[in-house]
Amino acid sequence: MSHLVVDGLRLLYEQGAGGEDFLALDDVNFAIGDGEFVTIVGPSGCGKSTLLMLIAALLRPSAGSIRLNGRAVATPGWDRALVFQDFALLPWRTVLKNVELGLELKGVAPSARQEIARRHLQMVGLRAFERHFPHQLSGGMRQRVGIARALSVEPEILLMDEPFGALDAQIRQVMGSELLRIWERDRKTILFVTHDIDEAIYLADRVIVMSASPGRVVREIRIALERPRRLEIRNRPDFTAYRQEIWDLLEEQVRSSGSWEEADDAASRAG
Amino acid sequence: MTLLRAQVSAARPRRRASFARIERPLIGVLAVAAFLAAWQIVGSREIIRSDLISYPSEIVATFIEMSRSGELGANVTVTLIEFVEGFIPACLFGVAAGLALALSRRLRYLVAPLFAALYSAPMIAFVPVIVVWFGVGRESKITMVFLAAVIPIIINTAAGVNEVSEAWIRAVRAFGAGRRQIIAKAILPGAFPAVMAGIRLGIGRSIVSLVAAEMYVSIFGIGRLIQVYSNSGKAAPIFVLVGIISTFGLVCVNALRTLEARLAPWRGGR
Repeated sequence: MSHLVVDGLRLLYEQGAGGEDFLALDDVNFAIGDGEFVTIVGPSGCGKSTLLMLIAALLRPSAGSIRLNGRAVATPGWDRALVFQDFALLPWRTVLKNVELGLELKGVAPSARQEIARRHLQMVGLRAFERHFPHQLSGGMRQRVGIARALSVEPEILLMDEPFGALDAQIRQVMGSELLRIWERDRKTILFVTHDIDEAIYLADRVIVMSASPGRVVREIRIALERPRRLEIRNRPDFTAYRQEIWDLLEEQVRSSGSWEEADDAASRAG
Repeated sequence: MTLLRAQVSAARPRRRASFARIERPLIGVLAVAAFLAAWQIVGSREIIRSDLISYPSEIVATFIEMSRSGELGANVTVTLIEFVEGFIPACLFGVAAGLALALSRRLRYLVAPLFAALYSAPMIAFVPVIVVWFGVGRESKITMVFLAAVIPIIINTAAGVNEVSEAWIRAVRAFGAGRRQIIAKAILPGAFPAVMAGIRLGIGRSIVSLVAAEMYVSIFGIGRLIQVYSNSGKAAPIFVLVGIISTFGLVCVNALRTLEARLAPWRGGR
């Protein structure tokens, strides 16, 4: 049974008089099963982050529909918890209070909040830092707080928008395997956006490859690598074959749409 | 041998650091002491006429005398109450108005030019008009305090709200927060440091306006006392009164700093 269904999604930025309209997404279709880990990979400007914002209902589509467990998605809500590239922690709150934020908005009683937040901090290995403020933590630790905050509300799906994009390459790999370790425990449905091909393959059950301007799904690739996965898997021939397949797709469509730079331009024009 | 040398070189910067810690207050205290001593000598020896510049021991004696007679206590109380009655409403209204101004584009277009003009206008110039409106009683002075304080509070709150990071709002909104929750959980705490800066500015401006208004029309208050003693030809009581006013301002501003450090410890680094 499908968990999240995205059907005919289209997003047109209308620039008004004088400016050119920009078609960010056009006819995007895919479905995600319950407990599936799906990654979306594509060049800058393919609208993959925009797609996530649409699913979170922080943006409104021009056409098409998004259904989660059969219900149409119309407004933002904790049933779809986001993890952001810039962490988006509140600097005036301690680590513990940051994790409690989602629980407050979900309406969990104050007495229960702390216990739930602590349990999730324990899970990401930050229990000892609950009284710290975000500015006292490293980037990797901040994103662990972001992940704990998102998971603590027990969402139906976790939406991750290039969550490790602001981190160093080594930290990034460590965070990837950490995320898998956490995911293996309860198999929460995850939709994870990245522009890093290796990251996309390493994490996913299925990779959705997108093209730029307008953003479209060009292929869905099932990743038949066994779990649990170790970092060394990246050197195996079946892994490198996936990497080659995705790279060929991306190269082809980047060439056909111009260049990486042009895609970036389009993205910045869209805002 | 090398170990010993390492210990010696490690000890030296520590000694230097501990001196640096007392160096600043030490120089400050010495400078003030030297200034007071020089003032005392120049004034008490009548090198410059003491009724013009007075001197520290005379000022202290005057302070004690004015306190004993009850004159100081009664007038300081009047000024203090006027200040509080004008300032607290200015804080409440200022934060609410600043928030509304930042959140509503139309409201901003409507009143922004007015506020910009009022901000640069000296409040003292309004005293005659306000006296005509509210009479010579305490209402005039409370109004002066309110007006002088409310404008920097409004302007700073609005600026603070506009600078609230989009990421904080996004984080709160993503969990399904409504407008009120976005304001309570992201906008107000994010704008808090700017609000405090506005309140600090408001303290200085409203003290100046209050004393000026008291000098202009009043039967009680510190400003009124300054007015009275300015006709006596003696400098000492004026120094006493000015000293009280600046002490009050300093206490308020430092109390706010402490409060801010308590409530917003995250400002240390971001």
